[in-house]
Amino acid sequence: MSLFSFVSVASADVNFSGKTITWVVPFKEGGGTSRFARFIQPFLKKYLPGNPDVQIMHIPGGGAIKGSNYFEKNAKADGTFIFGCSTSVIVNVATGNPLVKYNLSEYRPVVLLPQNTHWFTRSDLAEPHDLSKIKERKLALYALKTPASADLFHIWIYDKLGIKGAKPIPGLSSSGGYQAFLRGEIHLSSHGAANYVKKVKPEIAKGKVVDLMTLGIIGADGSVSRNPLAPNAPTFPEMYEKVNGKKLEGDDLEAYYAIAAAWSQASKAMMLPKDASDEIVKAYRDAAIKMTKDPEFKAKAEKALGPFPLIIGEEAGEIIKKAAVFSDTTKKQLNAALKKHKFTYRVQ
Amino acid sequence: MEQLLAALFQLFEPTHLAFLFAGTLLGLIVGILPGMGGTSGLALVLPFVFTMEPSHALAMMIGVLAPTTTSDTFPAVLMGVPGTSGSQATVMDGFPLSKKGMAARALSAAFSASLLGGVFGALILSISIYYAIPIIMAFGFGEQFLLVVLALLMVGALTGDNLFKGIASCFLGLIIGSIGTAPITGDPRYTFDTLYLLEGVPLVVVGLGLFAIPEIVGLLDAKGSIAKSLNTKKGWFTGLKDVVKNWFLVLRCSTLGCLVGALPGLGGTVVDWIAYSHLKQTTKDTSQFGKGDIRGVIAPESANNAKEGGALIPTLIFGIPGSGNKVLLLGGFVLIGIEPGLDMVTTNLDLTYLMIWSLAIANILGAGICMGFSSQISKFTLVPYYILAPVMVCLIFFATFNFNRDWYDFIGLMSFGLIGITFKNFGWSRPALLIGFFLSTKVELLSYQTQAVYGLSFLTRPVSIILIILCLATIVLLTKQKFDKYYRSDFVKGKLTQIYYNIILLCLPLSMIWFTINLDYRANLFPISLSLIAFFLLIFILIVKIADLKNLSFLNYTLIKFARSNIFEIGGNFKIQIYYYLSFIGFLLMNFIFGFPIAAALFINLFILFHNKKAYVSSICISAALMVILWLLSSLLTLQFPNGLIGLFIDLPWWLGGQLN
Repeated sequence: MSLFSFVSVASADVNFSGKTITWVVPFKEGGGTSRFARFIQPFLKKYLPGNPDVQIMHIPGGGAIKGSNYFEKNAKADGTFIFGCSTSVIVNVATGNPLVKYNLSEYRPVVLLPQNTHWFTRSDLAEPHDLSKIKERKLALYALKTPASADLFHIWIYDKLGIKGAKPIPGLSSSGGYQAFLRGEIHLSSHGAANYVKKVKPEIAKGKVVDLMTLGIIGADGSVSRNPLAPNAPTFPEMYEKVNGKKLEGDDLEAYYAIAAAWSQASKAMMLPKDASDEIVKAYRDAAIKMTKDPEFKAKAEKALGPFPLIIGEEAGEIIKKAAVFSDTTKKQLNAALKKHKFTYRVQ
Repeated sequence: MEQLLAALFQLFEPTHLAFLFAGTLLGLIVGILPGMGGTSGLALVLPFVFTMEPSHALAMMIGVLAPTTTSDTFPAVLMGVPGTSGSQATVMDGFPLSKKGMAARALSAAFSASLLGGVFGALILSISIYYAIPIIMAFGFGEQFLLVVLALLMVGALTGDNLFKGIASCFLGLIIGSIGTAPITGDPRYTFDTLYLLEGVPLVVVGLGLFAIPEIVGLLDAKGSIAKSLNTKKGWFTGLKDVVKNWFLVLRCSTLGCLVGALPGLGGTVVDWIAYSHLKQTTKDTSQFGKGDIRGVIAPESANNAKEGGALIPTLIFGIPGSGNKVLLLGGFVLIGIEPGLDMVTTNLDLTYLMIWSLAIANILGAGICMGFSSQISKFTLVPYYILAPVMVCLIFFATFNFNRDWYDFIGLMSFGLIGITFKNFGWSRPALLIGFFLSTKVELLSYQTQAVYGLSFLTRPVSIILIILCLATIVLLTKQKFDKYYRSDFVKGKLTQIYYNIILLCLPLSMIWFTINLDYRANLFPISLSLIAFFLLIFILIVKIADLKNLSFLNYTLIKFARSNIFEIGGNFKIQIYYYLSFIGFLLMNFIFGFPIAAALFINLFILFHNKKAYVSSICISAALMVILWLLSSLLTLQFPNGLIGLFIDLPWWLGGQLN
């Protein structure tokens, strides 16, 4: 008996049998990160060595800072603690929020769940995939929750596309903003993939709304491809080239990669603490890969997680580094856009 | 139509029904306890709903709200004390009927009228949902801004006993609501560099503090059990016949209830009186009113249940609450991730229908339970308060903690508890404070949004004009009806305390100005304007109070005369209430030392034994039951209760506050 178990240990010296894994989610129950965690939870139990119990611990507050700081302070590196990350957790770090005490870029990501952003406008304001009429407008209003959130990237995007009339209407959530857009009060609007399919596509079919562009899907080699949900819509780099007459490169490209990493590629993530050993990380990644092959996962994933495949492996670590550490030039770019729109908030 | 039926089938799944049933039971109980109502009930369940599926949570929340105005008839009829603010008018004829030995008749008439009214309200709500989309599309930023402002004014004007104190309460709520991150610039306002205040105090904590704590303290002050004796045996059939005979009155009052409920800001606080005065105006023989006319029970009861359906219309499609409990319902929506507005009649239509069905079924269930178990339920009014109170305090603490798992919330709870007690005793409006607090951010954002999109031109849009006229007319009409008649500050003792309190209240707007004056103008324009208005209102009230105290001559001006009515409040025994409040602080300290579960058991025993040394059997049984429930909850929800200092020295099980393994 002892011999038998000795042999099996060689392939998996990580064993969580009888242990309980705590998944810290720095948001309230019911939010996107919580749903992501709850969807993965049973598969994790099924495929991690030793089939440990996985409990999800919600610690909301402080714009995700409270739970994230809690994880940094309390998480053990033995694989019994994992962290549910999202764009806002990353943006807190990347924009240098002074209350942040967690060093996200050193965490060991297991799984990333990408997202994508779609921009669109009313059909009486522009032709599909064409910004020229929008650029002529004196005023092109759009929704902005707060400049300290990922919505900050909208300011940069519109600025780089030369939309002079672009003016943010503060304090609007994406769904509140979309409602105002349908009422004709604001001119530009955007949604993530899930809501795009659910709410925007029907309006496009009716001819009331037209696609402008998408953020684009970034491959492992840095190439940008179109979003399969709106295959005719140009990506941001394409639109940039069309508007500015030159390729997206240099500082602008760097900022784009950073923004896309935080906003799109690492929209949701599951991570281990920075001191987790390579064996533990590997055990988790293996479990994640097995999960993606599970027939039940395959059947439910598209509905629960969206159309984009999970990112697993070393590549994920690179993306998180890019997303969590903005270079000085990127920060300068963002701050310039903020200043132009008279925001007092600055990226640190 | 398909979705309407699908929602019905969904609701009849066992789990849904179970949540609806649990909510209904809780609603019935808080309805019976005088003073507690849907607001306290919702505040208690809110910290738990976010672990549930949205559809379960909705069924439960509606379950709590719907039957409070059914069961509140018990104390209204049996004791002459309204169970919630919606049954004040029921007392007028219900209590005399009970004194004549016709309690059962009054109760059965009230329950069946409640049932019919509630179902009627649900029906109206489901019909109006069909017409909601064009209404939502017609309400831009400007119209929403007006709607919110006018809702605030109406609540302020109508929920207090004094018009000016009501409006001032509203502004104080708005100022407290502006504490935290400024939505436009992100500047911290009035936060003293703490992370806790940066987000603002959570709504649930404010709701529990303002409503639950003062009621418990107030009832402890009133002493003894709630009712003295009960007689609800005979006359059930007569009551049913009364309702059938007066079917047209039920229909009229239900319609009235729906309409008044749908007016944002009016909510449930005045609907029973409106129904009652409608009855009086349309009846030829009014000689029996106030002496035990059964119609005086039927009219308010059908109206106050019907108003829930009406009140859900602005709540669901605009996210503008009409009363304190709708504020918390909206808070619940946020927690389970649904946003009021267009989605409620498009992508989330199934959830809306689920709520409508829940409303109808909860009303039927509630009325059914009340009738079927009336003699058992009315015994609830016999439980001595010194037993009920400590259990409820533990429940409130648990609910508060469960919401954020944050110790600071206890401080928030006790602070707002104190504000609630003083507001209640000194006659300031708590619903107005809560609604102001809730809508503060919305008002600020909408004012910026309106300005950016329309400038001032929004005032000339047709919907805006209709709104302004409608709301001004309502205010004028209702304030006349409400305040003209009585002036009762002659018997008030302790006027000086109330004057000092008024001066203390002045500190809030003044300190807000002091702390925000140096910020960017986009961050301080809103709180400073609010503070200035609140400051002048408070000064005006102070002057009227002093004039009343000194009996100065200028009291004879019409405006001052008007402002003078109920400028002082006849509260309960304020000192005793503060003693009880301090005992809750003692409980909080015990929490710090022993952790929540042990402190709760200790507190229940101490509290009950202090009042009645012979009640040790009840105290031990109750605290033991509580420990079992806490242990179960802890293992089911992986919940660690607030742990105390002793956990550092003694090795305790995890759920009692031991170290995390």
